[in-house]
Amino acid sequence: MSIWNEIAQQFRKNIQTFTIIGALLLIWAFFTLTTGGAYLSAQNFSNLFRQMTTTSFLAIGMVFVIVTGGIDLSVGKAAGFVSVMVAYFQAYIWYNIIPDNPYLAAVLSVTIGLGVGTLIGALQGFVVSYVGIPAFIVTLGGLFIMRGGILLVTQGKTIPANQPGIDVIAQGYLSPTIGWIVAGLIVAFLFFNMFTSRRNKQKYGFQLSSIYLDLIQTVLFALLIIGYVFVVNKYKGVQVPVLLLAVFSVILSYVSNNTRFGRYAYAIGGNREAARLSGININRNIFSIFVLMGFLIGVGGVVLASYVGYGTVAAGEGYELDAIAAAILGGTSPLGGEGTVIGALIGALIMSSLTNGLQVLNVQPAWQYLVKGAVLVLAVFIDVSFKKRSR
Amino acid sequence: MNDDIILDIQNITKQFPGVTALSDVYMQIKRGEIHGLCGENGAGKSTLMKILAGVYPYDSYEGDVYYEGRELRLEGSSIRQASEEGIAIVYQELTLVPDMTVGENVFLGKEPQENGFINWNKLYADTRDILSRYKLDVDPHAVVKNLGVGKQQMVEIAKALSEDAKVLILDEPTSALSEAEVDQLMEILRTLKSHGVTCIYISHRLEEFFRITDMVSVLRDGKVVASQPTKELTREKLVRYMVGREMSRRFPESNRHPGEAIFEVEDLYAEDPNEAGNNVLNGVSFNLRRGEILGIAGLMGSGRTELVMTLFGEYGKISSGKIRLDGKEISPKSAGVAIAEGLSLVPEDRKGHGLVLIQSILANISLPNLNQFASFMRIDRNAELRESLQQANNLAIKAPNLEIPCTSLSGGNQQKVVIAKWLMSDPVVLLMDDPTRGVDVGAKFEIYKLMNELAESGVSIIMTSSELEEVLGMCDRVVVMCEGRSQGTLDIAEATQERIMELATGIVQACED
Repeated sequence: MSIWNEIAQQFRKNIQTFTIIGALLLIWAFFTLTTGGAYLSAQNFSNLFRQMTTTSFLAIGMVFVIVTGGIDLSVGKAAGFVSVMVAYFQAYIWYNIIPDNPYLAAVLSVTIGLGVGTLIGALQGFVVSYVGIPAFIVTLGGLFIMRGGILLVTQGKTIPANQPGIDVIAQGYLSPTIGWIVAGLIVAFLFFNMFTSRRNKQKYGFQLSSIYLDLIQTVLFALLIIGYVFVVNKYKGVQVPVLLLAVFSVILSYVSNNTRFGRYAYAIGGNREAARLSGININRNIFSIFVLMGFLIGVGGVVLASYVGYGTVAAGEGYELDAIAAAILGGTSPLGGEGTVIGALIGALIMSSLTNGLQVLNVQPAWQYLVKGAVLVLAVFIDVSFKKRSR
Repeated sequence: MNDDIILDIQNITKQFPGVTALSDVYMQIKRGEIHGLCGENGAGKSTLMKILAGVYPYDSYEGDVYYEGRELRLEGSSIRQASEEGIAIVYQELTLVPDMTVGENVFLGKEPQENGFINWNKLYADTRDILSRYKLDVDPHAVVKNLGVGKQQMVEIAKALSEDAKVLILDEPTSALSEAEVDQLMEILRTLKSHGVTCIYISHRLEEFFRITDMVSVLRDGKVVASQPTKELTREKLVRYMVGREMSRRFPESNRHPGEAIFEVEDLYAEDPNEAGNNVLNGVSFNLRRGEILGIAGLMGSGRTELVMTLFGEYGKISSGKIRLDGKEISPKSAGVAIAEGLSLVPEDRKGHGLVLIQSILANISLPNLNQFASFMRIDRNAELRESLQQANNLAIKAPNLEIPCTSLSGGNQQKVVIAKWLMSDPVVLLMDDPTRGVDVGAKFEIYKLMNELAESGVSIIMTSSELEEVLGMCDRVVVMCEGRSQGTLDIAEATQERIMELATGIVQACED
């Protein structure tokens, strides 16, 4: 088989991913032209990626929930609740107990934020899986409860969360040198991974795909990373929250493909009865999925607190819709059984590219919503028609 | 043109990308006859029927269809048009809305209206008329999900007939029916014939052609290989036409010597998990020997499926009784426990319970076996692929690679995937619930051969079947069930259809109501 054939085959196999990457590039091109290049300036590019992080944490968890055939409507307000909890501890508690130790305070706040998120997920997961109430209802209830919780904690006021230490999480940047070192390590790992994977396949006696194809893939990824670091270094450097998001995404993407936990999620969403008869403990798995979602709510909430610098009444408002939209845009089937972490990330990037672009163009918020909604439906329509034709 | 011919199919060729599904097919169907159509899976039966039903519009194939003496031209997505012309089809998989009543289902999409509102009285009166005209014994007000499969089939037929169908196509109507329900269906078909309705009858159960049809056409690889009056045919001839070679035996020979009893069930009682107090098993006792194939026979509703599902830990709540494997008492509370003890189940409903259809062959085969290659952190995907490939090759699953989704496989190949997934778990006892349901003759034979090989290698198999002949042909002993109770175990030498039916209907040993 010639290399071109192999590339074409790869392309057909991942047509959905390529479609959505194409859509992203189109959107970028559109805004670059209409803003006279300001859109893709180093500063805006850097901000664009930083803006997407909170919803992205929620979106990569949402993929798992939707893949198992569920939904979580509470994630936005739950992350909001985590953010006001973090702000509350930052502003009122640690200040009194350990006034001279802002970094310890930040570590404790983050721990509490992650704990609260995980607990919310565990509670909802318990009711969904073991009590047997549909996820839609449980998390709709959760949405109301979290809204109440936020009001209770804030008492309607805005709580500062911009103390040193905590602010690093969403506002920090790696120095350019460290940024390049990280990029170098990742690129080295990509090549190492490519060769070990080939060696392992060989050990099992499988036919290898052409070395050039693997090389092209790896080099492409490496160039993307180098290009990214190059651009953001022109502004302030690699953004800490984006690095965090990348780490979590890689881990979760691996989990979804290469662990029993991930594989069972897809099987449960694809055919719950067949999964049950294959000896999979459905309740335990769905519970675990919600715990994972809860942990990511915790991460998202901490990042949100640090990003905004305050805990506010409106924290996390509507983020659940962005997270769900990102997952669906990224090819997650609302019926369950299909979806990828990487897809959801690109989906989230599309959503935040639209928001950011329209903001740069000074378009009214009303139009931002109209455009986002239309793009979501249009994207799914294009995807559906592609699939129909390939059948 | 002979006006006795209601449907004249001439030189139909239908191409799909890469495949010729039908090539130069001709067939003449006389008014008022029951015309059988048989062939292996993938022979083109369904494609041909979809052309007649308008699923594939007239410009998507070559050749002509003459209906009532004129050319039949069904436009794209014209299922509606076909039924207006009087061609109705009853699909293999039931297409009823379970939560609606019989009447609502029969008139779905064509509800009688008055001033924009549905005239419910007329709807139910018309339903009653249709049902009584064709002697279908169903209550128009009954909710469909509360009816048995046999009755649902009747509703499906009534629905097809509600528009004065002249031609009724039945696509494997009996694959889910019990013997008694098949008898009923045969009776209904005779009634339809006496009303002048022409039927095209598709089935995998060859004996039905001899009971009911006037003519039989055989498709093989998209071509008509025979079209003859039924009385000139024999079973052997039909099979030869279908598979294109001699198949003297329906069941492969086996040379097995069952060993000692390895799996024992003693006086098992179990409750319906959805309805406390309602027993689904009322005292089941039997034993299974190493390397034996044990059949479970019984009428529809006798508890065959409930028994195997309960043994696998996924249906009945065991209230009393013992299950022993290798002398050790086990209590399968879930499929996970049962699998760990060494049990495997090939379920009855392949698509609903056996496979995750949207996933690849590989993902399906390895699903219950991931423990073999996985630590907590990681699945060894190379090992997974190697083991799955080995199973797929052993079973001769026909697919270009293991990455393709199970939706694109034929019924027989799907069943092989289900079997592969359970063989990989290396079971001691293999439960097979109607393993050849909806599978064509060739694939059936392969599955039988495989079962024999497994038994010879020491695996103990419990199989149920909706076909008595299959139980008689494959098993060493037969347990007969009636109303959730085991009526006794027959050695194959003493088991005859009559003897089994006596036990199954409770004539010999009284069955309480």
